[in-house]
Amino acid sequence: MADTVQDAELVRLAQAGDAKAFEALVVKYQRRIARHVARYVKAAGDVEDVVQETFIRAYRGLASFRGDSAFYSWLYRIATNTALTHLQREPGEVLLGDDAPEERADAFEPGVSDAEDPERTLFAKQIAEAVQRALAKLQPELAEALMLYEVDGKPYAEIAGMLGIPIGTVRTRIFRAREFIARRLEPVLEPQRPRRW
Amino acid sequence: MSLNVSLLLDSQLALGEVKPALDVIVADPRLRDRYTVYGLVGDVLRGNSTPDDGFSTRIFERMRREGVRIEKDFDPSKDG
Repeated sequence: MADTVQDAELVRLAQAGDAKAFEALVVKYQRRIARHVARYVKAAGDVEDVVQETFIRAYRGLASFRGDSAFYSWLYRIATNTALTHLQREPGEVLLGDDAPEERADAFEPGVSDAEDPERTLFAKQIAEAVQRALAKLQPELAEALMLYEVDGKPYAEIAGMLGIPIGTVRTRIFRAREFIARRLEPVLEPQRPRRW
Repeated sequence: MSLNVSLLLDSQLALGEVKPALDVIVADPRLRDRYTVYGLVGDVLRGNSTPDDGFSTRIFERMRREGVRIEKDFDPSKDG
């Protein structure tokens, strides 16, 4: 519910001309949409094209978003249609019903052109290792809150109930956990910083 | 202020807090970067590691290059 309300506010701001509000939505959902598109489209380069097209179509059609459904659900449908249109135009692509679309989606990493780009693959591995190292040094109560949210998908209110702490404490613990990890990731991520939002 | 980055990412801000927080974040390269990196951390924890080599930036560059605008009568759910 929180996603729906806040995303709707970001859409409202974007509709009123604040392009940065739409960019915040793109950054937030880009990887989720990419993994969804990868269920339909095989080549990593084509996935990126379809994701770009999805967000462009979403922005062009933003006036038609009424907030009757969650923004992500709306975006998801656009991504599905865009991917299917791509498949109709690219006869060489593999359609739904392919042997293991879920596995293909799980393996997709935006910006990574699969194993043919060992440098990117190595960089992704370095990031994953740095996050794991930071996680191992994180205070247990911070790690617990972050993992419940990010991995188990628990809402803040439920985490507060599970841990017997106020929701404000959940907010600060998740933030402090992210910041702790982000600081330890800085040396690894620095080379690509200029290319990020 | 990075707390608001975390709260914006998780949709935890109150309605009236969204615009002021967004304005501060987009104006500060460090906070903008945190917004991306916090999201990246979550993806890595879920087993979806990625170098994040400018994926979103390329989307924005294409939108600017093509002069993409909000169109009153465009229905994005129709075939493209």
